[in-house]
Amino acid sequence: MYVLIADDSRVMRQIVIRTLRQAGYDWKIVEAADGQEVYDLALAEQPDLILSDWNMPNATGIEALNALRQAGCMIPFGFVTSEGSPEMREQADEAGALFLIAKPFTAESFRDVIDPVLV
Amino acid sequence: MIAGTLTVGREQILAISQDVFAAMIDDGETIVFERFGDVNEPADPIVAWVDMTIGGLGIGARAVVRTERTVADALTRALLVMDADEVVGPEDLVDAFGEIANVVGGNVKSLLAAHAVLSLPTVAGEAPTMAEHQFLQQIPLDWRGHTLVVSLWSLS
Repeated sequence: MYVLIADDSRVMRQIVIRTLRQAGYDWKIVEAADGQEVYDLALAEQPDLILSDWNMPNATGIEALNALRQAGCMIPFGFVTSEGSPEMREQADEAGALFLIAKPFTAESFRDVIDPVLV
Repeated sequence: MIAGTLTVGREQILAISQDVFAAMIDDGETIVFERFGDVNEPADPIVAWVDMTIGGLGIGARAVVRTERTVADALTRALLVMDADEVVGPEDLVDAFGEIANVVGGNVKSLLAAHAVLSLPTVAGEAPTMAEHQFLQQIPLDWRGHTLVVSLWSLS
């Protein structure tokens, strides 16, 4: 499994990667620091899954998701964000995201959300 | 209008802070509590904040976290799983402490009565000028014997 992890915070990317390992996902990782990099790396690297922050410079996570879908890229996409309001969950769902994991998260909350979409 | 839209209780800020520290820093253990008694201003402060803007209403809120630089260093080491004697670089400090404010602020935002847009975090050696803003809420926290203060201000 090859996964793109996107967050403008390097610290948070490390926490996400560490939590994925704690959750039992020993995946190959590529990292992006903003929404533009999400778009570019997704098309260039063709990962199996994208886990992206929402609020990032250059382009937000939702802008990156919309741009990818408009480009015909249907790579499974989930948000990992500190903003888990019902409005944002609805917006993520409408854009085609599979899930939204709210920060702070645990290995258990990762498994609860990610396991079902891996089947 | 402002008071109703931006109402967030001290106990809610405490619960958010406890969740953030337990999940991100303390391996699931809740060791952040409200600190009672006098709280001294940090001698060597570091302050991080995020803004929540409610576009349609022209109002918003700012969540601010402040502490001593040495405490922010310890938080950074915990977040990055660094050794206790490792030197914390300025980039890691800004990134880690800003992310704490970002996650606390993002969760505070979800409690507001109207949809708001969250800013990226800002980190500085002193608090932003708040003279024109209205103080809403503040709670001092104890983490491993250290003090952090989370405050909430209106941006109207």
